Order: sequence, then structure tokens, then C-alpha cells
Amino acid sequence: MPAGFGGLLPALILVTLFFVVPVLALLLRSVTGPEPGFQNYATLLGDGTYARVFFNTFLVASVVTIVTVLVAFPVAWMLAIMPSALASIVFGVIILSMWTNLLTRTYAWMVLLQRTGVINRTLMDIGLISTPLPLINNLTGVTIGMVYIMLPFMILPLVGTLRAIDPMTLRAAALCGASPFDAFCRILLPLSLPGIAAGGLMVFVMSLGYFVTPALLGGTSNMMLAEMIAQMIQSLLNWGLGSAAAFILLVVTMALYALQLRLVGAGRATGGV
Amino acid sequence: MTQPFLSIRKLRKAFGAITAVHDVTLDIPKGEFLTFLGPSGSGKSTTLYAIAGFQDPSSGDVLLQGKSLLAVPSHKRNIGMVFQRYTLFPHLTVADNIAFPLRVRRRPDAEVKRKVADMLAMVRLESFAARLPGALSGGQQQRVALARALAYDPPILLMDEPLSALDKKLREEIQAEIRRIHRETGVTILYVTHDQEEALHLSDRIALFRDGRIEQTGTGEDLYLRPATDFVAGFIGNSNFLAAEHLETIDGAATIRLGDGSVVSGVNVNGTFGKGQRARLMVRPEAFRMERNPTSAELTVEIVDVAFYGERRRIVARTAAGQELDIRPTTAAMETYNSSLPRRQVFFDPAAAFLFPA
Repeated sequence: MPAGFGGLLPALILVTLFFVVPVLALLLRSVTGPEPGFQNYATLLGDGTYARVFFNTFLVASVVTIVTVLVAFPVAWMLAIMPSALASIVFGVIILSMWTNLLTRTYAWMVLLQRTGVINRTLMDIGLISTPLPLINNLTGVTIGMVYIMLPFMILPLVGTLRAIDPMTLRAAALCGASPFDAFCRILLPLSLPGIAAGGLMVFVMSLGYFVTPALLGGTSNMMLAEMIAQMIQSLLNWGLGSAAAFILLVVTMALYALQLRLVGAGRATGGV
Repeated sequence: MTQPFLSIRKLRKAFGAITAVHDVTLDIPKGEFLTFLGPSGSGKSTTLYAIAGFQDPSSGDVLLQGKSLLAVPSHKRNIGMVFQRYTLFPHLTVADNIAFPLRVRRRPDAEVKRKVADMLAMVRLESFAARLPGALSGGQQQRVALARALAYDPPILLMDEPLSALDKKLREEIQAEIRRIHRETGVTILYVTHDQEEALHLSDRIALFRDGRIEQTGTGEDLYLRPATDFVAGFIGNSNFLAAEHLETIDGAATIRLGDGSVVSGVNVNGTFGKGQRARLMVRPEAFRMERNPTSAELTVEIVDVAFYGERRRIVARTAAGQELDIRPTTAAMETYNSSLPRRQVFFDPAAAFLFPA
């Protein structure tokens, strides 16, 4: 037994009691309720309605991840190169937003995004648009709200990776004749890939199971998996189907986590980190 | 007059209230190995960065073959550079690092391949082509950096303290390599260092920087044998400064009185001195002799210590005025030296001594 294992024991007991056991119960429920067999899984994977929810979940998670990477990269780069005193202030702002209650932040977005919200009013007042933009109860609303919530999870690992890159490397690339675009594509981007992979998978996995923001900012036509599970269990009382959906989500999440470990590991091996 | 190859014209760089470079002007002929030597913060790296395009000068100009470089962004200047830290691209192999400048220039694959092979041969790292930089020693990485900087045949190679991160033995090895490559390629090299020995070994000419200005430009011999200022004399090689009083100057040769009252004629002068003006006389440690000759001046000293240094000895002596002297006669010259005499005369040729303002 490895040294220090004793110290892990309380956590291990906690995880076993409150995670492993319930997950096993969930698995059991998904193949027993209402009657034994895999019919719950067959229903979920075979039915077009449920397939749409799965597709929509992956679509939202993908869009959110891509947009988050695009927004986070410049922020992370600025944080990596700005003087450390200024950087800690900006970090403070980012962390502060993470510490603010999730519901508060999501409701704030509702106020901003709704038809008569701040954004639409302002745009109409300055005459840029004549009718309100549909910013809420659709994919746009979910993406905006979730990108905002996910940003810190992308920025933090990315800053770590970018800070490890010697800025002189980019000057060297410039003197070698690389235009800023070439230097970005050939040097900065490959070197920051481990950070993008780590942050990206974290954001993607978190987005897959997200509930509050899609429920409040999304529309009924693009329901996500977590909402569907809640509905199955709370409204339809179909524990078997809900459990099966939850278990599928768990398996996908763990598969992605395994992929992340491999990718980040590979990044280290090639000197990326 | 023919146009200089590279010309630095009244270059000035200020960071807020601090002026790092004051009106530096310098012409560099094609193929020269010129070193910017100076203590840290003397403006030598800032001047180099202005040539590289990393920093825009506050005023002045940098001209390559008569054309200003200032409006040209770094990536279009076609200048090679080797940095203090290795700055290789860590995710690319040695061969890909060297190929990088050629690939961004969209050169045909066959040419890239041939050039990379040539460059690897030049720095003698053929067997390391497929390695990643992280798997190389510091010296090897710096050789790859050199190969990468020369792969596109730049007319100018800038080197910013390229050896300062290496240990002494490696430094000497790479110095020899740099000399050979300079000889073989004929590239114009601007080299920055704070190490005077490195500057003396490598350069055709040295520009000695101090507080953002060039104190003196010349060959290593010029700076060593004919220092323009006491700063140059103090920075290049070792020197003794003796307190002196200026009596008169005739035809560039001064007569002075030393602290012990002895009068010495025929010392070199930089600048003008009034009668009775206090001054400092610089004499190199190895310019002292243990034997009198017809032209030599003499100094009575007390020998404090004699240490053996191989080809030379190092004597610590004290003058009557209490000033310590560093004297380094050759071991051969010491054969007849009688070490039992604590007080004795040492001699120097006035023509090897320089008078500077106090």
C-alpha cells in the first residue's frame, strides 16, 4: 500500500458512500425500473426526441467550448504578458465573478438579454436595430450565459501555459521572418495547445451536464440533457429513464476526462508544457 | 566617400525620464565583427534591439545600405539574431527549428532540405536533426540558434550575450565556432557582451558603451594600448591609477609629479590639463619592469605579496603614498629578482603610461 494512503481514507469513505454507492444505485435503477432489462437505454438511444436532446447537448457544449476558447485566449495572453501587479487585479475580477452566486449571474443575463432588456433597448435607442434581437430562450442566450460562466475555467489553465512560453521565443520568430500571423499559427498556438486542451475539455465536460443556465436562458426547443433528466425525475417520475440518461452522461464525461488526461500527458511529452 | 554598410545615426532611446541611449552614431563596414561592450545598463542591448526592431528609438536612424530600417517591421528586416537565452521553438525538432525561417519565407522544400543539411553541418550537429531542443545541452542549443539565425543568409547577425548562460569551457568552444563561422560566411556580426575578454578575442572592432554613450570605438589593441578615457582604461584589462599632478604638456607628452615627489616626463595625455592640476596616471600591471632601462621612470614601493601565476607573477606593492599597486612581471623577468628586499624600485616606461583627469 503506498505511503500516505491512510490520509486518503476519510475522503475515500466519503466518495464511496456518497458517490460510488449512489452511482451504482443509479445504474441498478436504470436497468430495473420499471422492469429489468435495457429498454431504458434502447428508448433513449433509439427515440428521435431523446436523440435530439443528446445532439443539442453536444452542440451547446461544443459551441460554448469553441466560443470560450476564442474569448479566453486574448484575455489569457494579456494576463500572461501584463505586469504582475495589474495581472493580479484582473485575476481578482475574474475570480470575483466566479464567487458570485450562479443564479444571480444568470438572472443578470436575463435582465440584459430579454426583449426589453438593456442590450436590446440600447441598440434600439441608438438606432442600430428597429426590432429587438432574439437573445434569450434560444441557443444564443445559452451560449452567451454559459461562455460567461465558463470563462474562468478556460482562462486559468491557459494563463499557466502561456506564462511558461518565453516571450523572446516570439521575438525570435519575428526576426526569423515570421509575420505575426505566422508566429501565432506556428509557434504560439502549438505551444498553448496543452492549455487549450485542458481548459477546453474542462469547459466541454462541465457544459454537458449544466442545468441552471440552459434552463433559464434556453428555450424549450433546445433542451439539454440535464434539463431532460430533471424533467423525467421531477415531473414524469420516470426514475428508470432518468437514471439511464444520467448514467450515459456520466460515462461520456468520464470518457472525455480520460481523453483529457491522455492529451495533456502527450502535450507534456512533446515539451508543450 | 562610399556608403557604409550599416549605419547608426544619432540613435537615442528614452524610457520615460531615463535615457538609455544618447545619440549613438556608428558606421559598420560589411563583414565586420563589431562588439558592443559595456557594463549592464550601458545601452548596448537597447541599441541592438533598435536594430532588431524590438524597440523604436526615440530619435535617430538605422540605415542598412543607405535605407532606413525603422519603418520596416522586425519580420521583414531579414536580420539574424541569437539571444542570451536559447529561444529555440521547444515543440519543433532541431531540423524544423533551422527550417523555420525558410518555411515562413515559403522556400521550396528541396531548398529547405539542402539548406538545413548545410547549416547542421556548419554547426556540426548533423546527428541531432531529429531531436527536440529540450534534449540538447546549452551549448548545442546555442549552436542550433546560430544555425537558425544564419539559415536565410541574413546580411547582419545580431548576437545578444549569446554565451553568458554557458560555462567557461563551453564558452571558449562556441567562441571558436563563432570565429570560424564568421570567417566562412563573411556575415556582418554585431555582438553584445559585458565580458571584455570575449570582446577582445572575437571582435574586429569594439564599441565601448558607458551610460548610453559610446566611450571609444576601435580595435581591441586600440582600446587596450591607447584608451581614450580612464573608463576605457579601467574597463579593458587591468590598470593602476596613480595620483599625480600635471606640470606641463609639450607635443602631447606630459610632465607630471607623482605622490612621492618624483617627476616623470613623456607620459601620454588625453585632454588638456592646467599647470598644477590634479590628475591620475594609468599604468598597466604588465607595463611595470623590475629592471631599470635608459628611458624608464621609477617608483619606490614596498612589496606586500608575490604570487605565482604560471607565465606571470602577481606582485602586490604599496607606494610611499600608501597606494596599492598591481604589478605583473613575466616569470622570466623575475629570475634575477631578490625577494628578500622588502623595499625596492619598480620601473615603467612613460610612453606606456596615460594621464587622465582626476
